[in-house]
Amino acid sequence: MKKLSVVLLTSVLVLSACSSKSEESNTSGGEAAGKSKEITVWAWDPAFNIAALEAAKEVYSATDPDVKVNIIEYAQADIIQKLNTGLNSGTTSGLPNIVLIEDYRAQSFLSAYPDAFHELSGSIKPEDFAEYKLGPTSLNGKQYGVPFDSGATGLYYRTDYLEQAGYKAKDMENLNWDQYIEIGKAVKEKTGKKIITLDPNDLGIIRSMIQSAGSWYLAEDGKTPDIVTNAALKESFMIYKKMMEADIVNIHSDWSQFIAAINKGTIATVPTGNWITPSIKQEASQSGKWAVASFPKLPGNAKSVNASNLGGSSWYVMNVPGAETATDFLASTFGSNVEMYQKLLKDIGVVSTFKAASTGDAYSQEDPFFSGQKIYADFALWTEKIPNVNYGMHTYAIEDILAVEMQNYLNGKEIDSVLKDAQSQAETQVK
Amino acid sequence: MNVMRTLFDKFKNLKLFTKMFMVMVVSIIAVSVAISWTVIHMSTDLFMQTFSITNTKVLNQIKSGFESYNDAIVTVVSNANQSGAMKSFLTQGDADSLSTAKSYFNMSEQMKKLKSNLDAYEVGITIAGVNGRVYSTDRSYLSMDDKKLKQHPLTLNSHKDPKRLIYQDYKEITGTNGLGEPMIVASKALLDRSTGYVYGTIYISMKERDFGQVFDSYTSLGNDVFILNKNGMIVSSNRQDRIGYMSQELLDYAEQMDTEASDYLNVSVQGKDSFVISDNLPTYDFYIVNTIDKEIALGQMIDTKTLTLIGIVIVGIALSIVFLITRQISKSLTKLVLQMSNVTHNEFGNHITVTGSYEIRELGQAFNYMVDELHDYVDKLVETQKGQRNAELAALQRQINLHFLYNTLASVKTLVQQGSKEKATETIHSLISVLQNTISNVSETIMVEQELGILKHYVFINHARYGDRIKVGYFVAPECMDYHVPKLIIQPFIENAFFHGFNVKSSGYIHVLVSTDGQALYCEVVDSGDGIEGLPSEDAFLNTKKSRQMFSGIGIKNVHDRIRLLYGEEYGVSIVSELGNGTRVKITLPLIKL
Repeated sequence: MKKLSVVLLTSVLVLSACSSKSEESNTSGGEAAGKSKEITVWAWDPAFNIAALEAAKEVYSATDPDVKVNIIEYAQADIIQKLNTGLNSGTTSGLPNIVLIEDYRAQSFLSAYPDAFHELSGSIKPEDFAEYKLGPTSLNGKQYGVPFDSGATGLYYRTDYLEQAGYKAKDMENLNWDQYIEIGKAVKEKTGKKIITLDPNDLGIIRSMIQSAGSWYLAEDGKTPDIVTNAALKESFMIYKKMMEADIVNIHSDWSQFIAAINKGTIATVPTGNWITPSIKQEASQSGKWAVASFPKLPGNAKSVNASNLGGSSWYVMNVPGAETATDFLASTFGSNVEMYQKLLKDIGVVSTFKAASTGDAYSQEDPFFSGQKIYADFALWTEKIPNVNYGMHTYAIEDILAVEMQNYLNGKEIDSVLKDAQSQAETQVK
Repeated sequence: MNVMRTLFDKFKNLKLFTKMFMVMVVSIIAVSVAISWTVIHMSTDLFMQTFSITNTKVLNQIKSGFESYNDAIVTVVSNANQSGAMKSFLTQGDADSLSTAKSYFNMSEQMKKLKSNLDAYEVGITIAGVNGRVYSTDRSYLSMDDKKLKQHPLTLNSHKDPKRLIYQDYKEITGTNGLGEPMIVASKALLDRSTGYVYGTIYISMKERDFGQVFDSYTSLGNDVFILNKNGMIVSSNRQDRIGYMSQELLDYAEQMDTEASDYLNVSVQGKDSFVISDNLPTYDFYIVNTIDKEIALGQMIDTKTLTLIGIVIVGIALSIVFLITRQISKSLTKLVLQMSNVTHNEFGNHITVTGSYEIRELGQAFNYMVDELHDYVDKLVETQKGQRNAELAALQRQINLHFLYNTLASVKTLVQQGSKEKATETIHSLISVLQNTISNVSETIMVEQELGILKHYVFINHARYGDRIKVGYFVAPECMDYHVPKLIIQPFIENAFFHGFNVKSSGYIHVLVSTDGQALYCEVVDSGDGIEGLPSEDAFLNTKKSRQMFSGIGIKNVHDRIRLLYGEEYGVSIVSELGNGTRVKITLPLIKL
């Protein structure tokens, strides 16, 4: 009996020693199959893009509550830098599943790294979106981006300041830039306020001006720099200098100073994209003191209209693990959800480029902040008039050159040689 | 104590196998536990040494990482201080749009250059001037309001000591979720060297998670790095959960190590047994503290579970082998012991079977050899004793013969004096016959018939001496005549009867009876004499002293012993006697026929 028990004990020990290893080997490798449960999104502007993402995240959680959406806010420059670093290195680690890219830059990314982006042609219907957004968001007939906000521009203005300077709402409609400068001078004289705030490093205002005339830094092929022969650009430069010389410009160096200038009442007008609406509205004390007029046009250019575009961006899915989930997320929110767009418009002020959304009630609503003006209906109207241009691939490369040349121009350099020098620099750089 | 004793007694009484096996179990377990403990202890020591060496190096590396960051910052700050464009941007009063735009543009160009010094780091540079202008390369760092920044401790502390670059921790409150992103901000007042006029402040902010990258790769679970400021607040750590909290404990350790210059401390951190290494970052005015949770770190290095399992398996295998071997040894020993205890049953004739291991076989052979030797020795001893007894007997017989001779010769002298010449001759003739038989070897046997002849001669001599008032009768079964008996085995009893049996009675008879029942020869000497007192039963053994008194000459016991010595236990002499009714002596002998 004793012997038996000893033998049993020994065998139990040996067996238990052998079996302990096998349990641990099953744990790894379980996640490979099936949909990824976590996606990461990069975007900028908490008041606008991030807020819209939060809303989409909420909508999507009803569809698929298991998926965790990580929204990460970076400055736009950071996103560009991180994307370039990541894509250049050829590793996908550290890249997000979804990224917001400004339309001006989209083509350079798509054509440089076509494999890095996930094609969405089958997941969304491009014809559902405003046509002018499809150029920047697609490449070789393949749709890569989900068009998001409209960059339709308007002239936001402080009714109180302009009234002090003797201008009515009617006087603000369909201005040209010469008239605008005159108003600026009057405002400065009457109120001491500047008419506009500008960042010397950001020529957004120039871009809006030339697009109003259907012109761009690049020729229609999207590749050839079109500077020295660009009449609209030349006129825009001159208007820019004229504004500066009239001393009606406030200078800021970054976004927060820009917003501060608006919110603190430092300036009287903001001629920019409609995405500024939520930032303007965030200063509740100024409710009723703002209105939006159409964007000024170039006085010396027959093609110029009182409508333009500034910024505007779209969502892209990157070819990293989780692309399927990310596509599904976009397709069921920004890609198709009319209801959500209505809500985005109402709550945040997002003027979308999703056609079906522009017909809803929200578009015809009166905004009390803007004294009951139906601003979204106005933007929808102006959107239709935006001249279509090909942004091409080198918008910002050329703008960097132009920013320096602009300083030279402001310092007294002749306009023609400014543009000529810029042209030759651009030609060597962007080729 | 008593329990111990009881246990020990119990143990002592256990079987050999159980004892050996218990000792083995205890020893093997003790040895394996001791070895495991020693190994773990040694590797712990080794780890401690390695740890203190490598982690000191790691710490130095981290330190140099921080120092190169500091160097870059120092460069940026001094460049900023030397830049005239920046100075004018920061000091310029209100100007027209054009010059403001130029100033801003120049500033941005300067900042780009400045930033390029820190391209290796994820930082945001913010510069604030006395004129209220703020320029920031990235507003996501230090996103607070410009006015708020002016009143912030970050600014105030810099202005307090305008010549020094100081590092401070700062928690950014971002608008969206209200969660603070901890930052490390290097700040310095920008001042005009010649006049000491402070015209601005430069802030270089780094998110804690980027700051922590300097040491993040060196950390692991249980191996934590903390950066403390001089107040004991944790400004950076791989342990996100502890950033922003005060740790007096760590500060004390850091200060202690700073003053004592010891390599490492072996202390408790947050209640956990840990190693602590610390160094200070003089340029930052921070302490860098590296803690290692011993339990986790050693747990990663020493897999106690596996070690224990291996130990158990080895002990288990060893025990089963020991069990088998011990059982085999003890089995052959037990067999040996069993055989040994049986050896005495057969007069040392049993040899044991020699099997089992070498030792057991040797033991068995030695034992067999010993048994053989013993056997020989006993045989020799028996032989010696026999010889001794015979010698003794012969001596006694010779003694008798002399006595008898004396008596007989006295009788013959009397007969000669009486003139009965013929009777004297006959008596001498009988004496000669008796002597003839007596002189020869004592151990020799003779036939009953011969013995009877001797007896008759002897009786004749006695009759001649004392007269025939004591009659002697012979009743011998004819088939007994041919059996052999030891010479003169009956004669002493006749002699006794003659000389001691008839002291009171003057006449009587002596009968000699020889018979057999097929198994033994019975020679009886029955007299009708006085009888002997104190011999109540047939079984009673003869008392030597008494017999001496009653029987002259040869002791009855000697005869008895002699017979037993010659033929075995079942033979011998017995006496029955009753006072006044005579004595019966019965000699039992084996049937011997030559």
